Formats: sequence, structure tokens, C-alpha cells
Amino acid sequence: MSDAGLRERVRALIEDEARLLDDQDFEAWLALFTPDCRYWVPVSLDQTTPGDGVAHFNDDKQLMAARTHRLLNPRAFGAEPSPRTAHVVSGVRIDAVDDDGTVHASSSQIILEYRRRDRFEEDSRVFGGRVRHVLRATGSGLRIALKRVDLVNAEGSMNALAAPF
Amino acid sequence: MVGGMATLLNSPPRLDPSALVRPGRVHRSVYTDAEIFRLEMERIFSRAWIYLAHESEMPAAGDYVRRHIGSRQVILTRDRDGAVHAIPNRCSHRGTTLCAFDRGSAPGGHSCPYHGWNFAADGRLRGVPQRSNYEGVLELGDYDLQPVRVAAYRGFLFGTLDAEAVPLVEFLGHMATSIDDLVDRSPSGEVVCSPHVLRHHYRGNWKLSFENLNDTIHPGFAHSASVVSAKAVAAGLEEGEPLAASLGMMLANGKPIQFFQDLDMVTTPRGHSYIGGHMGASYTADTQSAYAQALIAHHGPDKAARVLGTDRHLMLLYPSSTWHARYQTVRIVRPVRHDLTEIIGYTFRLPGAPEETYRNAVEYCTGANSAASPVIADDLEVYERIMDGNGFDAREWVPMSRGLREDREAVPGLTRSPATSEAFIRNQFAAWADYMGAAA
Repeated sequence: MSDAGLRERVRALIEDEARLLDDQDFEAWLALFTPDCRYWVPVSLDQTTPGDGVAHFNDDKQLMAARTHRLLNPRAFGAEPSPRTAHVVSGVRIDAVDDDGTVHASSSQIILEYRRRDRFEEDSRVFGGRVRHVLRATGSGLRIALKRVDLVNAEGSMNALAAPF
Repeated sequence: MVGGMATLLNSPPRLDPSALVRPGRVHRSVYTDAEIFRLEMERIFSRAWIYLAHESEMPAAGDYVRRHIGSRQVILTRDRDGAVHAIPNRCSHRGTTLCAFDRGSAPGGHSCPYHGWNFAADGRLRGVPQRSNYEGVLELGDYDLQPVRVAAYRGFLFGTLDAEAVPLVEFLGHMATSIDDLVDRSPSGEVVCSPHVLRHHYRGNWKLSFENLNDTIHPGFAHSASVVSAKAVAAGLEEGEPLAASLGMMLANGKPIQFFQDLDMVTTPRGHSYIGGHMGASYTADTQSAYAQALIAHHGPDKAARVLGTDRHLMLLYPSSTWHARYQTVRIVRPVRHDLTEIIGYTFRLPGAPEETYRNAVEYCTGANSAASPVIADDLEVYERIMDGNGFDAREWVPMSRGLREDREAVPGLTRSPATSEAFIRNQFAAWADYMGAAA
């Protein structure tokens, strides 16, 4: 495939992934990931591997499934009501392609989140930063093996985070 | 202001804290009144020993970390001789904070960004630019930063603003054994603090966190949705596919209440407490054979067996920190305002232990301390709802009477109760009233 074709496919996948989160279509969202995937939001841009320290999110697929299952559970009052998000994806770039076809891509993303708690302007929050995807070629196309979200405020103190970035 | 007027009209005198704590109940204003918070900073956080840092966070001469004692900022410094000092993060000239980073190295001392006054690691004012302007006016020694009293227990550094405070070991009492529990788990005798730190906060009072962590009744309700979701995922696993450790931790909250009723809670003077461990094998095994062997080599078989056999859940060291020895996690509870609290989580490596031991600590700390942890998100929601509900005067007194008549054993320095008891909260408020009762 041409470079332009690959870039188009990668961009579409990253945009689709963000759209599925905004739509809360978590089943379809999980299906984009490999069984051994990792969803990782480090506490420092210096972290090199998910095991090297604590993280805001450091999920295997089971935890991703439990987390998103909980978001749709009416008894999960920590997510009552469930947050609504809008992802803006920009600047998708292919940083490297391995010999086996694994693609290393990055994008800039801004996530607007709203959860109504009658706390006025605090009910809306903005997150954003550099998002890195490692995409593995599988029989059914590219699948996400790693999603790393480097928030601009990675070291910052967070209040409750219910929705994945 | 939250709670202000109603408190003044209906309740005990708000500036007489001893009237706000009665047997088995406290007045709601202890959570919602900004003036009470100001008194807490003055009477509790200025008198107790406050956990600040571990020595490994500042290994070399000139290294420093910035921490809080209540509302005060302090810089912990290491001087050329290796001694540790705590000095106020405040220039003695115009009051500018000297240091803007949580950790770093300042081998040339701490210089004020405003006029360049320079302070040594021990707080001594070393120099002032344009000394000639101060000729006959200013003695450098009059403007040294007054060091704060610091003491270490097995490498963990505490500070107090009270020159009269009892020695640190007396303050810790029986709880020193929970710090021993953490350090003794190291096959080299050393523990090293990870540079990666997890911070979260909530719009609520600092005491709410202390009152939640050893409350074994709330998980069955507050965290039930995570249990439901973890079970749903577990049910869908393929044959032979292992359950992830993170889900094991969520499921641990689903234990029957009788399990916790049978477990012990230990409370000690000055507001401290812990309960027996309960996450056990359903979470992660930390007795991998390589680790056990290394521990036996260090301690000998008897002590190693004792260390590995110890299973305590969180130790609450009132009013500054919460400790999980088995997963090498320490959390600082930082009161910011009466309605704003930050929790800062640190993990420790045990040099000589397999990498898996550190991974377990990281896994635990992430699950127990990330704002994104489904379990923590539920707790943060509850804290904020408690603040909302106590912000108006539908009811003035908050009961904390669960298990009031169920204590199992009381010996000097230690009381045992069922882990379902609110004895640890009553114990915190006994300490609270003690600290708050008398003006400084």
C-alpha cells in the first residue's frame, strides 16, 4: 500500500476510536484493541514503560472492559450521570513502521468532558496532549496494541476521572 | 460561605472545638467550617509529627524536596555532611517562596528569585546582594530561616512545628511496627522511593479521607458497581484465562460483611489505626519464591516467616499519612482548605526483591490512588456529597457510633475492635479534641 493510503487508514482508525468513546459504544471501542493491549496514561512524560511507575490509567483489556461496563451501570454513582465527551483529533502522524507492519502513530487530541453535578463551571473540564498509538497488523486489519496518552498535565493532581481519554 | 450562619445560630460555640465532639457523634461543622480548619492548622498540624519524605528522595548533598506541614511549605534539604534539615520555604526578606519544584538539587543553596538573598541547607542566611546598603542596619544572623524539627524513623522523615512535641517514636507508638513491616520486607534492608508520584484531590475536608480508609462497611455499597462490573468481565473470560490483578482488587470489595466483622481493627493513642489485611491472595501473591528466598537470606527463616506472615491493611497515621506496608505505598493527606484536600501517593522499591514485587506495589498504588481508579472515583464522589449534605442544617450531629459497644480488648496503648467498627473514627476525634481543646 502507498504511504498515503496507510496514513489515511491510520488517521481513520484513530478518529474512529475517539468517536466510539464519544458515542459510548464501548463494545465497538474494545474490539479495536488487541487481546494483549495496554491503555496507559502516565503521571510523567519521562515514563518509558507502563511498569516503571504509577499511572493515572494502566489498563489491560479486562480493566478496560470493567471500567467501561461500569460507566453504563446505573448503580455506579461515581459516574452518575455518565460523563459526556467530545474528542478533537488533529495532526495524525506516522512516526515509524516496523518490519512486521506494526505502525507507531501519534496525534494531538483535546478532550472536552462534561458531567452535570451542579457545580457550574467545574462540571466541564478540558484535557489534552499527545496521544500515541501502536497499531499491529492482524488478520482483520490494524488493531491497537498500545494507546498512550501523554496529558499536558500528566504530573498534575486530578479529581475523579471516569471516562477514558 | 458553606455552613456559616446556621452553625452560628444552632450549634455549640463554633470556636470551642471541645464542644463539637461528643461520645459517638461530632458536629457537622468540623467538616464545613473554614474557621475550624484554620484552628486545625494551628493546633493539630502545628503540633503533631507530620510525615514529609523518605531519605531516598534526597540522596546527595544539595538535594531537596518541597513538602507541606499543614498550610506551611517547608523545604527538606541535605547538607554537605549528609544531615537533613527542614526550613520554611519563605525568604526572610519579603516572604517570597524560595523553591517552586517538588524535588531537585540546589548545591549552591536556595536563592530568592526576588532580591537574591541566599540560604544554606540549614537555613542560614549566607549572603545578601548590595550588603553596603545594609551597613550597620542588618545582621545576617537575624534573618536565618528557623529550621523545623525533623526526625527519622527507619529512613522516613517527619517534621513538627512544636518544639515541645514528644519524641517521634513515642508519637508513633505501636504504629512503628507498621513502618517496620514496610522496611523489613526489603531483602537488602533498603527502600527507595520511586520518582513517579500519583496525585489526586477532592472538594472536601481532609478528615473524610481518614474516616473512609478503614471503613469496611462502605465498600459493599459505595464500590458495588465496580464489583458488579468486575464480575461481569470475570464471567466472560475464556476457559483458563487468568483474572487480572486489577480486577481482583475490585472484587476484594465484595467480601461478605461477616469477613470484616471477624477481622481486627487496632486503634492507638493520637488517632492512629490499622485493620487486618483482607486483599490477600485474591489480589496478588507477594510471596513469590525468589522473593521469599532473598528475604530468608537477609533475615533468617524465622524473621522472614514473620515478615511474610504479617498482613495488615492500611495504617492511618493521624493526621498526615496512610501506609500500606505490604504494597510499599505511602500516601500523604494534604489539607488545602476546609473543602479541598490533595492525596499524594508514593511507591517504594525494595532493592534485592524481584521486579514483580515493585510491579505489585505500582499496581496497588495505581488502583488505590489514581483519580481514574473506579474504586477511588466512587470515594471521591461520596466525599463531595458529604460536603454538600453537611453544608446545610437539616441535622446538626453526625453519628459515629457503629460498634460503640463491641471493643474486644483494651490494653495501655492499644485497643482491638471488630474491623466493622467506627472505633477508628472515634479514636481520630478523641485525638482531634485533644489537640484542638487548648489554645496554643
